[in-house]
Amino acid sequence: MTYNNDKNINDISVFFKNILSSENNRPAVGLFCTYAPEELIFAAGFVPSRVMGRKKLARSESYFPINFCPYIKSSWESLLSADGSLKAAVFTNSCDGMRRLYDTANIYLKNTPSYLLDVPRLQGESSINFFKGNLNDMKIFMGDLAGRKITDGEIEKTAAVINKKRKTLKKFSRIFKELPHLILISTYFKVMELSMTSDPLIFTDELEKYIEFIEKTSRDHKIIPGKDNKKIPSIMIIGNFITENKLWDMLSALNLKLAADDLCTSTRYFEKQIEINSGQDILYSMAQRYLTKPPCMRMADLGLKLKEIENNITENNIEGVIFISLKFCDTVLYSFPLLKQKLNQLKIPVLYLEMEYNNFSEGQLKTRIQAFLEML
Amino acid sequence: MGIKDRLKTGIQKNLNQKYIKRLLGIIAKKPILYTYGSTFSSVSDKYLNIFTIESLRKAYSDNYRPVGYGSLFLPYEMIHALGITPFLPEVMAGFTAGLGLAAQTIKQASLNWYSQDLCTFHRSASGAQELEVFPKPDFILTTNLACDAAQKSFYIYSKKYDIEKNFYLIDVPYRYSQESLFYLTAQIKNIYMDISSKSGRKPDISKLSEAIELSNEFREWAIKVNRLRETLTDYPPYFNALNYILPFHGLAGTREAVTLYKYMYIELKKYLAKQLNKNHDKKNLPKKILWLHLKPYYRSEVFDILNKENCIVAFEEINYVYWPRLDPSKPFESLAIKMLSHFLGGKIDNRVNMILKLAGEYNIDGVILFAHWGCRQSNGGARIIKDSLNKLGIPTLVLDGDCVDRNNSSQGQVKTRMQGFLEILNSKT
Repeated sequence: MTYNNDKNINDISVFFKNILSSENNRPAVGLFCTYAPEELIFAAGFVPSRVMGRKKLARSESYFPINFCPYIKSSWESLLSADGSLKAAVFTNSCDGMRRLYDTANIYLKNTPSYLLDVPRLQGESSINFFKGNLNDMKIFMGDLAGRKITDGEIEKTAAVINKKRKTLKKFSRIFKELPHLILISTYFKVMELSMTSDPLIFTDELEKYIEFIEKTSRDHKIIPGKDNKKIPSIMIIGNFITENKLWDMLSALNLKLAADDLCTSTRYFEKQIEINSGQDILYSMAQRYLTKPPCMRMADLGLKLKEIENNITENNIEGVIFISLKFCDTVLYSFPLLKQKLNQLKIPVLYLEMEYNNFSEGQLKTRIQAFLEML
Repeated sequence: MGIKDRLKTGIQKNLNQKYIKRLLGIIAKKPILYTYGSTFSSVSDKYLNIFTIESLRKAYSDNYRPVGYGSLFLPYEMIHALGITPFLPEVMAGFTAGLGLAAQTIKQASLNWYSQDLCTFHRSASGAQELEVFPKPDFILTTNLACDAAQKSFYIYSKKYDIEKNFYLIDVPYRYSQESLFYLTAQIKNIYMDISSKSGRKPDISKLSEAIELSNEFREWAIKVNRLRETLTDYPPYFNALNYILPFHGLAGTREAVTLYKYMYIELKKYLAKQLNKNHDKKNLPKKILWLHLKPYYRSEVFDILNKENCIVAFEEINYVYWPRLDPSKPFESLAIKMLSHFLGGKIDNRVNMILKLAGEYNIDGVILFAHWGCRQSNGGARIIKDSLNKLGIPTLVLDGDCVDRNNSSQGQVKTRMQGFLEILNSKT
């Protein structure tokens, strides 16, 4: 829907010109997980860029089995076809599949240095301290890559930059949820994707301006945030690294409001700030943030995740949950039996979907989602 | 119908905890148990079965509380020292395959929303648990070492029994460093102290040291057995070392594990002596296979085909002694070292180096990696393993299959692929 004659509010190419311009292409370090600390990469002078794995599978199939995470296989295809275009690739031991992707990159990728950051699964004080040590190890790797020593002062500065990006994303997320008729679901996730793949300084600057534009449009057209006369169901989406544009386009065209989410491409990515104060070790603060941010299902305490989802459902008056997992994602798929029980207790209907990556069967999914929404 | 078939049919018809408990109560009585044991061809097999049944009887009995569910790769020395009766759902999943129960348990898992994309060891165990076939646990212990699945499915068990406070995940770091050792040692110690306290006992470190002494004793026998196997050119027909999961896992730190391997050593030594007395035609010696991962636990033609094609499984990676001698005076640190030494932890290089070492030590002609459905950690490294072995000219077969669900594994395809591979192997001089 166009609310302004000059600019289509959902055309992000208009609002993120600098980010989308090739002039701003600085050397990038590839990432694969929300637990990979962008702060350390940016402090070394590189752009932290999530590998999106947009390539269709060709060579990758011969490296991994059929029943293997499709995001990992697509990412490997991207890495293989552009070996040397990234300054380095930083992996985490987020899951079995990711460990094997790191091994594969380490052995077969000749022109891209790779590094694996060990992320604990527990969240107590000793885990935070242990993770702090691992971050220090990664700091050394990034320093070697940059050819200089990275200081804590530099990390504090970049932590502030990434914090600002997270804070702005959170604000954008809130506005998106309050103005569902103004910003499309597809637009929201396009912005999220840009946030994960772009220079954080330029991105945040453009996002701030975009938010200003949205707020102005909303004022000009007397759209009161949160006040919506149309009765549309509030949905929560729970899943993993879902980036399928066709899915977001499809959902944008359906009668629903995305009122909450638990995805690697949204809240799990931007929620929770790093506490920066001169008295505290910055690596400790980072370790604390990453281990206590909204967790991935890989973490030990699945109960904590369920509690968080329950709170989200209550706070956002969620009427239905769409659970979407990439196929063969063990940690997320194992969360479903308990999630289903919890949702049954809360009397919240849930639609269970498993999908491939870059291979979207629109017709079937649309029918299932429409039927689900009708039921609500 | 023999005793084994009667047991199988009985459980298939009465898949419930009460029946299993009653059955174990009967067959675990010494005279019956030893009669049952005598149906096995070897002393080590006999004791493996006797110890398994005894261990199960305790887990199902009310007199051996507390019961602790444990996953593979845990430091069971600690569990025995704590006086916990271990119960291993993943091993039980193997039994569901052997007893022809997997179709029932896997179906139940699907009804409880376990995706069919997940590992069938865990799905079958989860289905059995949902059917309430397993005994109620007091504690649940698991680890992220090797795979993601156990920590998730075991957490679900803790929720089912409302014992999340008694759920423990041992978070094994990726790298072996001083920091990792410190982090892991502290976790093991804390768990030991916490469970002692919850069990109303004073933490008894001397018991743990005793378990570690036994673990060391087992280790010595296992090394002796493995050395002996380097020289064997074939095996007794009853011998399948892929059955010996428990001594390395659930029985670690017990006298039973020592006994088993001691008998195995004696038996294989006798067999070797006979073998040395025979005049072998060196040209017709069986080809030696190194087996990676596990095997199908239901009746499968895999080993018959090997036999028919004059091949033997000369060694299995699961029987590799990967850890150093443990120091009983530093029990927690020792167990942390043991966990950090595992070849399935960290980089794939750890596993590859171990495989290459075994290939040399056992004069391996070919390698079979049984690619169990849903095992990402193992199958995800298959290409690297195959390429590494190919560099040495060792043919490798990545054999897709399923250790638990026979319906998920095409026997015809397995047969064709194996025959093709063995033809290549036998054509090599």
